[in-house]
Amino acid sequence: MDLSIIVPLYNEEDSVIPLYEALVHTLNPLNLNYEILFIDDGSRDKTYSLAKDLAKKDRRLRVIKFRRNYGQTPAMVAGIEHAKGTILITMDGDLQNDPEDIPKFIEKIREGYDIVVGWRYKRQDKLLTRKIPSKIANWLIGKITGVPIKDNGCSLKAYRENIIKKIPLYSEMHRFIPAMTSLAGTNIAEIKVNHYARQYGISKYGLSRIYKVLIDLITIKTIISFFPRPLVPFALIAAVAALVSFFSFISGIFYILQSGQESIVFWGLTILYGSLAIVLLFWGVLAELVYRTGNLKIENFASLKIDNEISRNNEVEKR
Amino acid sequence: MSSRIELSVIIPVIERYDNIEEIYHDYKQNIKSTNMAFEIIYIVDSHFDEVLENLKKLNKKGEKIKIIKLAKTFSETTALNIGFDNSSGDIILTLPAYQQVQANEIPRLIKALDSHDMVVGRRWPRKDSGFNRLRSKIFNLLLKRVSDLQLHDAGCNVRAFKRDIINEVNVYGDLYRFFPIIADRYGFKVVELNVAQSDRDISRRTYPTSAYLRTLLDILTILFLIKFTKKPLRFFGLLGIGLFFIGSIATLYIVGERIFLGVGLANRPALLLSSLLIVFSIQVMAIGLIGEIIIFTHAKELKEYTVYEIIN
Repeated sequence: MDLSIIVPLYNEEDSVIPLYEALVHTLNPLNLNYEILFIDDGSRDKTYSLAKDLAKKDRRLRVIKFRRNYGQTPAMVAGIEHAKGTILITMDGDLQNDPEDIPKFIEKIREGYDIVVGWRYKRQDKLLTRKIPSKIANWLIGKITGVPIKDNGCSLKAYRENIIKKIPLYSEMHRFIPAMTSLAGTNIAEIKVNHYARQYGISKYGLSRIYKVLIDLITIKTIISFFPRPLVPFALIAAVAALVSFFSFISGIFYILQSGQESIVFWGLTILYGSLAIVLLFWGVLAELVYRTGNLKIENFASLKIDNEISRNNEVEKR
Repeated sequence: MSSRIELSVIIPVIERYDNIEEIYHDYKQNIKSTNMAFEIIYIVDSHFDEVLENLKKLNKKGEKIKIIKLAKTFSETTALNIGFDNSSGDIILTLPAYQQVQANEIPRLIKALDSHDMVVGRRWPRKDSGFNRLRSKIFNLLLKRVSDLQLHDAGCNVRAFKRDIINEVNVYGDLYRFFPIIADRYGFKVVELNVAQSDRDISRRTYPTSAYLRTLLDILTILFLIKFTKKPLRFFGLLGIGLFFIGSIATLYIVGERIFLGVGLANRPALLLSSLLIVFSIQVMAIGLIGEIIIFTHAKELKEYTVYEIIN
């Protein structure tokens, strides 16, 4: 299997059939052994029955139905876990992405890139509620993660299978896949893609995502920068606390020399920040422990890099 | 009747029990009327020798009862899990070992499984004392804030469900009370059914204060399980950032007074308080981060979705 197309669907009864037809129309001329995965994320309309009818006629279409609505990331994770292709491509189910762009993505992967992300350079969304927040979010994500990508929100992305299957994805992490893979030192390419306004259905996002994105961003950043040695950042903050504690201790001594009285406040601060420093060191050790016992080993990521080299060379040899 | 078991009835004897023989016959009669091949499994706590004797007597009389004796006292959920593991029916029915509902309601419960994955009994109308009713009202009000499923009677142990659920949903500890809520979260169809309360389901249970505390903790547990298991920092981070903000402003104000107005710090207990806030907020955020790291490093094992069907 060369290629898997992964499409999460949630209440997209109007889009299922046109999307399937457009995909087949684009993929058939490529002479690839491909599969299309529709993940029905607990839709409450006809989405599933339509997809089911299509799948009866076409063995290359696989449909996974969730028991209830879980959200976009779990849908993508399910698609990634069940995909059999060596190249995985994810896209939206609402016809905002253009299947015609897919060949360009495959081309880029063959050039030796590990991840190819789409950039909707002419976005067809409302300016105030969609474009501006996403501009700010993309800038922030780029600044914080150090992976400058112009459009993280575009679902149309292509991955080399051996990489994406090793990335831990949960909650709403799909926005940060490129940032996560920077842990493994992947090559990321960006290409311009077409973007259409929604034809059917309603947009499933609101402004409330901003807080979530921010918190997720902090999480990703700390996890990425902590990755080899989580004790270090904890120790740094502990050092600051210890310094404050020490400073307060000195002030207390001075106060006694100056006025001949004890200052409860200075002693209190000394103890308070001193204990914070010690406890933070404990947290750091605990974090180390969790990393060591978790199944996300540094070796995993190191081996990722080697895997990449091998698969890239294979691709080059094939041509 | 085929030899394949269709319905497994599991009766844990953990805390309360009434006359074993009487209840057994009562249940059996009604289970028989469902016309299914059934088995009855008793799970008996280690220190109920009397119950064990009674059950063995029944066995000698030719009643086919599976008896599982626990080596020590476990929670109800653990006992039930042991029962699930040792049962083979596609449909599982759990019943209390005491008079809680009228047994003739059982066929109705099983019938309702045709269109649902889980049926939960709700004792209605209630014959408890007013105080007990108020207590459960408050409990259910709190529960309503947490889950989408309207569960009115978490204390009723009469539940029937399909085996698929326990294959996908893992309950442990004290969580059996919330099993319907968790199953609902996993996308199974759960429904509540009003069943007539037994005349003898009088509240002989006296509730010590610790029971209320446990109930409250249970609700907190379920809240966390449902809302923040995957994203601990969303909760802890918000709390931490808020506290840090308040603490920093207060500290800066006090230090500013010292620098610009010359108010001495040595006798300002407010500084201790504001520093305490900062220290506490850092701790809270650290806890959130550790939680997040745990989730991250185990993300591959956490399945976030339940699949209903795969085609091709």
